[in-house]
Formats: sequence, C-alpha cells, structure tokens
Amino acid sequence: MRIVKRKQIVCTLLALLLVSLVAGCGPAPTPTATPVPEEPTPTPPPVTLTLPGDDWGYPSPFARYPRGPGYIQMSFLFDTLAWKDEEGVIPWLADDWEASEDGAKWTFKLHEGVKWHDGKPFTAEDVAFTFDYLKEHIASWFEALKEQIEKVEVKDEHTVVVYLTKPAADFLADIAGAMPILPKHIWESVEDPKKFTGPEAVIGTGPFKLAEYSKEEGRYVYEANPDFFKGKPAVDCLVYTKVSDAALALKTGTVDAAFFWGKEIEAVKELEPEPNLEAIEGPSFWVLKLIFNVGRPPFDKVEFRRAIAHAVDRSKIVEQVTHGGAIVANLGIVYPGTSWYNPELPAYEYDPAKAREILDELGLGEVSLTLLTTGGFAREAELIKADLEEVGIEVEVKSADWGTVDGLLKEGNFDLAISGHGGIAQLHIMRSPTWPATVYKNEEYDRLFEEQERTMDEEKRRNLVLRLQEVIAEDLPVLTLYHPKMWCVYDPAKLDTWFYTKGGVSIGIPIPHNKLVFLER
Amino acid sequence: MRVAQYLITMSIVLSLNFFLPRMMPGDPLSYLTGDPTADMPVAISEEVRERLLVYYGLNEPLIKQYTDYLINLAHGNLGWSIYYNAPVSSVLLGRLKWTLLLMGTATVVYVALGILLGALSAWKRGTKTDIGLLLSVFSFGSWPPFFLAMLLIILFSVKLGAFPIGGAQSPTGSHAGGLKLAIEVTYHLFLPSLALVLTHLSGVYFLTRNSMLGVLGEDYIRTARTKGLRERDVLLKHALPNALLPIVTMIAMRFGFMIMGTMFVEVVFAYPGMGSLIYQACTTRDYPMLQGAFLLIMLFVMFFNLAADLLYARLDPRVRRA
Repeated sequence: MRIVKRKQIVCTLLALLLVSLVAGCGPAPTPTATPVPEEPTPTPPPVTLTLPGDDWGYPSPFARYPRGPGYIQMSFLFDTLAWKDEEGVIPWLADDWEASEDGAKWTFKLHEGVKWHDGKPFTAEDVAFTFDYLKEHIASWFEALKEQIEKVEVKDEHTVVVYLTKPAADFLADIAGAMPILPKHIWESVEDPKKFTGPEAVIGTGPFKLAEYSKEEGRYVYEANPDFFKGKPAVDCLVYTKVSDAALALKTGTVDAAFFWGKEIEAVKELEPEPNLEAIEGPSFWVLKLIFNVGRPPFDKVEFRRAIAHAVDRSKIVEQVTHGGAIVANLGIVYPGTSWYNPELPAYEYDPAKAREILDELGLGEVSLTLLTTGGFAREAELIKADLEEVGIEVEVKSADWGTVDGLLKEGNFDLAISGHGGIAQLHIMRSPTWPATVYKNEEYDRLFEEQERTMDEEKRRNLVLRLQEVIAEDLPVLTLYHPKMWCVYDPAKLDTWFYTKGGVSIGIPIPHNKLVFLER
Repeated sequence: MRVAQYLITMSIVLSLNFFLPRMMPGDPLSYLTGDPTADMPVAISEEVRERLLVYYGLNEPLIKQYTDYLINLAHGNLGWSIYYNAPVSSVLLGRLKWTLLLMGTATVVYVALGILLGALSAWKRGTKTDIGLLLSVFSFGSWPPFFLAMLLIILFSVKLGAFPIGGAQSPTGSHAGGLKLAIEVTYHLFLPSLALVLTHLSGVYFLTRNSMLGVLGEDYIRTARTKGLRERDVLLKHALPNALLPIVTMIAMRFGFMIMGTMFVEVVFAYPGMGSLIYQACTTRDYPMLQGAFLLIMLFVMFFNLAADLLYARLDPRVRRA
C-alpha cells in the first residue's frame, strides 16, 4: 500500500511536470519548455542565458556584498569611466582621457548621448557628484577616496577634471575603471546609501536593467537595456541562479556555463568528454601563502625562514592536493604572466638536507610550532607538517573557522599560518606581504611600495615592482605556495564569447563575467 | 507559574543570544575585508574600520549595545544584518517561508507515515511485512543524509530527468502567478522533501513501533479482543491512542526544531532556508542576524513545548489531575 501510494505521488508530479509552464523573460531551460508566445514581428527569439550564481546582495553600488561577484552583479547595471577587455583598459563612459605629467590631474572627455535607465541624460555633473558622494559615504573598495581625491571640476557638459591629492599611477585602473557612476538626480537626496534599496537604487547606464532579485534564493534576473549606449546586448535575458553542483547543473542544461577553480579541476575533467561543451582556462590572481610570524622567535631569523622554504615541497602540494589545478607560486606574490612579474627570484629548491644544515647552524635545539589553518587547507597543512617534521621541526596543526583564523592573524597570535587571497593582479594588495596579518615591517619594502604607487613612468615603476618582489623573496616574510587556475566551461551553442579579462575585471576580479561577454562587439 | 518559567527561560536565552556570538574570536568587519575563498579581498585602513564600527554601532561599550538591543527588540526591531545588508526581519521572513514549506511538508509526512508504519509493524510483528519495513526504514535512516540526497538527484534529476536538480522554483518562475507558481514550487519541493522524509522517518517509526508493542501486550487490549471487536478497531481505537502518548513530546520537539532548517537539504538541493542562513551568519559573525535567528528558534521551540504540555494534559487525564 505504501509503495502504491508513493507511486501515485510520483505519477501525479510527473503529470504536473508535463503541464509546467515557463514564464518570465524568455524560455527557461526546463526539459519540457512550451513554445514562446508568437512575437508580432519576425525578430529572432529572445536569448536567455542562465548562469550559476548565489546571493551577492542587492546590486546597488552600496548594498552589494563587498566581494568580487557582488561587484559583478552591480556592474551589469552601472558603468565606469573606463573598462577592461582581454587586451587591457578601454574607453567606456569616457571616450578619451589625459593625465598631467605628474599623474595628479586627470581630464575625462565623456561619451555623448548616454542615458540613464529612467531616460534622463548622463552628464559630467553625474561624474563629479559620484566622486563627491563616495568621499562622504562608504562604498566597498572606494573607502579611501576621501584621501585620494582633492576635487573634481565640471568643465562643460561632457568634460570633467579630477585632481588627486597625490599622484596615483593606478588611478585609471583602480578608480576610473572601477568606480560606478551614480545618477545625481537619484542619489543626491539619499542619506544612508547602504539602506537605500528601492528600484531607483539600481538605475544606472549599464547594458542591463534589473528585473528581479531574490536574496534567499540567490537569484538575479536582468533584461537587456535597448537604449544602451554601445548598442543592445546580445543576451536579452541574463539569469543568475543558485545551484549546488555547477558541473551537474551544466550537464543537465540547468545553466549554460559553469566556472571552476583550483581543486575543482576534477569537475572540469569530468565535463571534458561532453561533446557540446567547450572550456577556456584563465588566471585566478589568487595566492595561497604560508605566513611566518616574523615577530616571534625563531621566525625573526631570516635563515630559519629560508630553511623552511627549502624544507617544504611546494610542487608536491600542487600535484597531490590540487591535482594540477594550480601552479607553484611566485615567491614575490605577483601573479606570473602579468607585466609586473619578476621571473628571476631566488628559487629555494626543495632540499631537506640543506634545510637541516641551516637549522643545525642556527643551533635552535628542539623546535615545535603550531600551524594555523582553516579546514579548507587541511590537506596542505598536513603535507607541510610532514615536510617540516622530516627536517626535525615538530608541527601541530590547528584548524579553525576563517573568522577565528583571521582574528588570530590580525592579533599576531600565531607561529605559522596558511592563508590565501586574491587580487594579486593589482599592486595595492601588496602593501603588506603578510596580509591579512600585519606582523611584517620592512622599511625598504614600504619605501619601494610607496614610490611605485606614484611613479607614472611605466618602465621605472616596473623596476620598482621587480625589486619589491626581490625583497619578499629574499626576506621571506611569507612563503607563497600556489596560484590556482580557473576555468570557464560553456555551451558554445548558447554563447561563445567568453574570455578572461586582462588583469581581471575592474580592480582585478578573476571570474570571466565581464559584461562585454554579453554585448555585440 | 508556567508563565514565569517561560519568561525566565526567555530572558536567559535572549542574553545568551547576545553575548555568545560576541565571545567568538573575530568580528563582523573581518568579512568585509576578504576571506579565504574570496576572489577579491579588500584591505581597509584603520580609519575606515573605525567608520564602519561607528556605522554598525559596534564601537559602543558592550553593555550599551546590549541595552540598545533589548530596547530595539521591545519595539519589534530586530536590527540590520551586517552581512546581508538588509533588515534582519526581512531576511528571516524570506528564509522562513521556504523552511516552513519544506520542513513543514516533510515533517507532517514523516510523522504521519512513521506512526502508520510503526503501528502496522507492531501489529504485524514478526511477519514479512514487519521485517521488510524494519529493514528498509532502518537502512534509509542510517545512510548519510547528504549522500542519500545526492543519490536522489542523480537518479531522478540526472538519469530520469524527472525533477529539477535544485532550487525552490525555476529561475524565471516567479513571474508566473497562481496555479502555475504552485505547480512550479511543488515540483521543486518533491525531491528535497522525499530526502527529508526518508532520513527522518526512522525516529518516529521506531518509537511508535516500540510503544505500540508495549500497548498491544496490555490487558485491556486482550479484553477488547475477547469482546469480539474487529482487529482494526482494536488497533486504531484502543491501542494507537495510548501508544501515541510518548510520541507527542517527540513530535512537538521535531516541530519546534524544524524551524532551524536542514543544512544538508539546503546545500545539496540549493534550497533556500534557515539552516544555511544560520551557518552563514555564524561564519561571518553577523551578530544581529544571529540574534534574530536564535530568537526565532527560541520562540518556535517554546511554542511547541507549550503546545505539547497542553496537548499532553488533554490526552492523558492523569497529567491534568496532577
């Protein structure tokens, strides 16, 4: 009886499935999609693209969550003065720009005829307003604008001049190419932008308009903005929906592309034999580091840190833990392949005998350490522990959740810690090589860092950054472990314009959700 | 008397809700500056950190924050979630509706099914039916829940293509209204609730079976049978109501805790719910969110506790008199 009952339920539900209908903007990828209602004109059917997503906050410049994907969701609605493609920085809301010799004054010539989603014209007033507004209100990633921007002048309706407090070589990429321009007529009356989450809060100039957002379901639905100043997007309806297993979702056609990185290479391999899918590989601009607490003996001795560098087999970690989903890291942190990368750093080849030799010379006696890690890097921690015990250093692995690890790192309460972060396409993240720990102080490093920040000459600046990496590799406040790779696996029949942005989207987001992918180019 | 008990419990829980999260190492701002899975870390300066602390009222002395929290609560204001950047109450309600739908459906089904099958098993004790039920319920209950859930997805969604692999509705589904939406939601509800029923069935089933076996051995059952009552009446009218007494408490607890959602279903089926909300709020040290979520759980558990107390008194005259 029980079985019959359940069968009945299944049958009923299957019957329901057959009549399940699709609504919204365009056909959804259900197995039994009913035909789209006839359009009056013989235009091609609307293109709907569904991608795996999650909740990254209401996509306004202030309410979005501070991480990369939160910015991406917002970037479909809002535009910046400059943007990036696979080659580098390109004009966007600004057609052209000019920097003064010292890099402290920037003049932007704006594109004419751009309209906000509500039909009002976009002008230089909006740009000047945005700078002023972001100086007063905290927006993630632009917290320091108050110190960076002296003043902004509106020259005419389509010309704006930005005066910086000090020269900033990265102004174009990090601010002009990342700061979303706000419509003055909406935001000038908003007191607390973080709590402003009405439909007006997502009015931008961007290629898409927000049709739907569900926080709990992690879903975004965007529809194409037909009046977009670079032409109507190729994708009419862009949907982000939460899935638990992106590979499975791609296989079943629930989504049209899926994104993987590092250890998720297993999923990429699993999808490889699928005949209708293609994949591209890109850089993650992410680094996993072994951080030394240089304030605490025996880590205060650079020889000791070098001994550890010789003792840890980094390529074994890449092979055994990431299964080839990563590359051995640059000891100078900067992502290999970027123009700042220094390929000629000391290598510290894996050599336990040499490590033991250095340790003997130091005459430290019995050394026992704790290695702090989050659960996600437990395998890495175990391999490092085994390597260090091989050369006579006792290691106790302590695993905690990230909040705890981060707290201990900031307090400087650890011996060794495994921690990683992204954003190493941009140099600002290198302010402290041990970030998020702040244990390392090196005057030469700080001087070099500040100098490169205001050096406008590309070649001179490059030399400074090369030297910066040498300092890290020689002084070893951290031992970098690996850089994960990234993949985009997609169904080319749905969309085949995927690419990886040079240096990452905006201030260095590695995921390939550049809005250019969805435009006619 | 009972009211006083509940009030004391409530004030203790409220204070724990406030202080426990704050005793965990780390703070909510850490999450705004990047985390290990983050593709894009944000290094903020001390000055910005200060501004953020002021913005979220985290710079105040703890005792001031505590009294503010209580005062706000008295005004029905649960505060502003730091991670979700939205009112705590709206985030909670957004999740609550899905958790109630999923867990409510599953709980009703597995409780009813558990009682029925348990009673059947006890009645048919030692027969093939009993052993078959015993084995199947036991084996489903002992599988790791996430594994069972993934198996269901692979079987029903990937191989048969009969059900969606996850979510609470199709990505563009909520544009449909009325009946269409109801069908959509039911269709997405089926696999997650099946997974929940299969994994939760065993508790109710075994308790009912045992309790029923005990009752079936009582003298009044023999009396009923010798009176010539039909076996079905003996079972349903005489044995089952008595056997249910110990189960009431358990069921009330199940309903009370159902509000917490279930991590494994929410993760494997990408289903929105309270389980992943609490987990996320914990990870990100989102104090206001944690306070709100725990308060809601407390109210639910206490409500069903009270309901069980009252129901028990109605079911068992001995308790009422005592």
